Amino acid sequence: IGPCRLLHMSVFSQSFSPCGKFLAAGNNYGEIALFSLSAALGPDANELSQKPILTFTAHEGPVFSLLSTDSHLLSAGNGEISAWSWAELIKKNVKAAWTRRPNYKSSLEIPEINAMALNPADNSLAVGGGDNNVHIMDLENGAFKSVLQGHTDYIHCLSVRERASEVLSGGEDGAVRIWDTRTSQCVHCVEVYKYETCARPQHGKWISCLTTDSDWMLCGGGPSLSLWHLRSMSPTSVFPLSGCQRQATFYQDMILTVGEGQCVSHCLMGGEVKAQIPCTPHSINTLAINTNSTEHRVLTVGGSSDHIDVFTNLSYKAFSLRF
Amino acid sequence: MGAVTDDEVIRKRLLIDGDGAGDDRRINVLLKSFTKWCNSPATPEEGFTQHQRMHGTLAQCEFSMLKTLMVYDMNIREMENYEKIYSNIEENITSAHEKISECKKEIQRAKRIRKNRQEYDALAKVIQQHPDRHETLKQLEALDKELQQLSDIKENVDAKLELRKKQFHVLLSTIQELQQTLDKLPCHFPLDDDKLETDGNNQESPMENGE
Repeated sequence: IGPCRLLHMSVFSQSFSPCGKFLAAGNNYGEIALFSLSAALGPDANELSQKPILTFTAHEGPVFSLLSTDSHLLSAGNGEISAWSWAELIKKNVKAAWTRRPNYKSSLEIPEINAMALNPADNSLAVGGGDNNVHIMDLENGAFKSVLQGHTDYIHCLSVRERASEVLSGGEDGAVRIWDTRTSQCVHCVEVYKYETCARPQHGKWISCLTTDSDWMLCGGGPSLSLWHLRSMSPTSVFPLSGCQRQATFYQDMILTVGEGQCVSHCLMGGEVKAQIPCTPHSINTLAINTNSTEHRVLTVGGSSDHIDVFTNLSYKAFSLRF
Repeated sequence: MGAVTDDEVIRKRLLIDGDGAGDDRRINVLLKSFTKWCNSPATPEEGFTQHQRMHGTLAQCEFSMLKTLMVYDMNIREMENYEKIYSNIEENITSAHEKISECKKEIQRAKRIRKNRQEYDALAKVIQQHPDRHETLKQLEALDKELQQLSDIKENVDAKLELRKKQFHVLLSTIQELQQTLDKLPCHFPLDDDKLETDGNNQESPMENGE
């Protein structure tokens, strides 16, 4: 890979393997790289173990979203979803198990897929992207069961609320919509930018970051990152972070969030920012925690750089994996 | 096997006393002087001195043997001591490991508790923003009372209005009847004030009776 390409590379998505030993990362060139965590974290790790064990071109467009099921890696790019078997990828056999495309209304323009979320309750995949709709696909037979329409602009992020069997979607139109998967109706629509405490009109009204903990929801983007209580649909805390956040996650008793700004922010649910840990990329797109393995429990962040930072201890960056 | 033990013996002996100085040499010298003393036809005094000298050497050998035995005992005891310390340390290590895992569990619990506490705080903040329920109930009661009072007043006013209406109706109808009666009566007599008064009086009484 030429140095110029490396300079312009952005990592958009990450996913850990079900066994927890491998990390797949997708970039803006449509490539997916597979890194071996056990090699990089092992006692005799060297420069070479921080390079991918396998790199392949998955799609023509950027790979905006990666998701792992128990056996497959799902990648979304250029309006289609491809599935790759993890066992085959580990053996360096690059062949997609299947490739499917949601039913788009217009066949001229192919909208990109920005987010995917897995609903383990009914083994379905929610996919959201440029056509302003959320498509639900049944993973058993591959058919697209339903389409959730309601957003007036493209969808940035999706999250699944397991306990209530609902899907949450955040979009460019500034609305967070909560859909009931059984009836495919929009149960709630929260326009975050209309709340004075969260709104930041200088940045815009888009929601690029959404995650839920069944009782609580974090959402941010143009408006400040805020914690919402879902039962009462009210914002309880607003986090004083200056940049626009792109991904947030609940971890133990903390909230980890990344976005514009060269750091991972650790926040408490009360609304205070406990720490900001610096990392390599100047603007971070994705954050992932390896919950599939106990001995390789690391946090990885990727963004506008060909380096993926690996944190073995949440307080500092241990090393970087390189494309 | 004999060769092996010989080698071992030779190695050990070389290790202990390789250069020939010390105990080994002393024993050899003693043996040689004993044979010489047995075989020498020397004077009794010389024989006696030689005899004493041999005793001395023998005592030296015994002394050195005792010393080595004591060192051996000491080594054994040191070994036991070290064994004890070693097992002690092993126990400490295992108990420390257990304590570490206990503490880790404690941390997890504490983190969960902290998270719950923060969620509670966040919700409490939201709830605080809404007004107190007692206050609202009291306000509602006060408003109800006001409402009741106002409706009472309205009823009273309505009743008064009805009464007035009825009174005026009676008055007006009586006036009209009087008018009609006056119109019906033929005007036989000239309009005289006295007559009119008496007529007015006559007309009044039936009206009063009528009421």
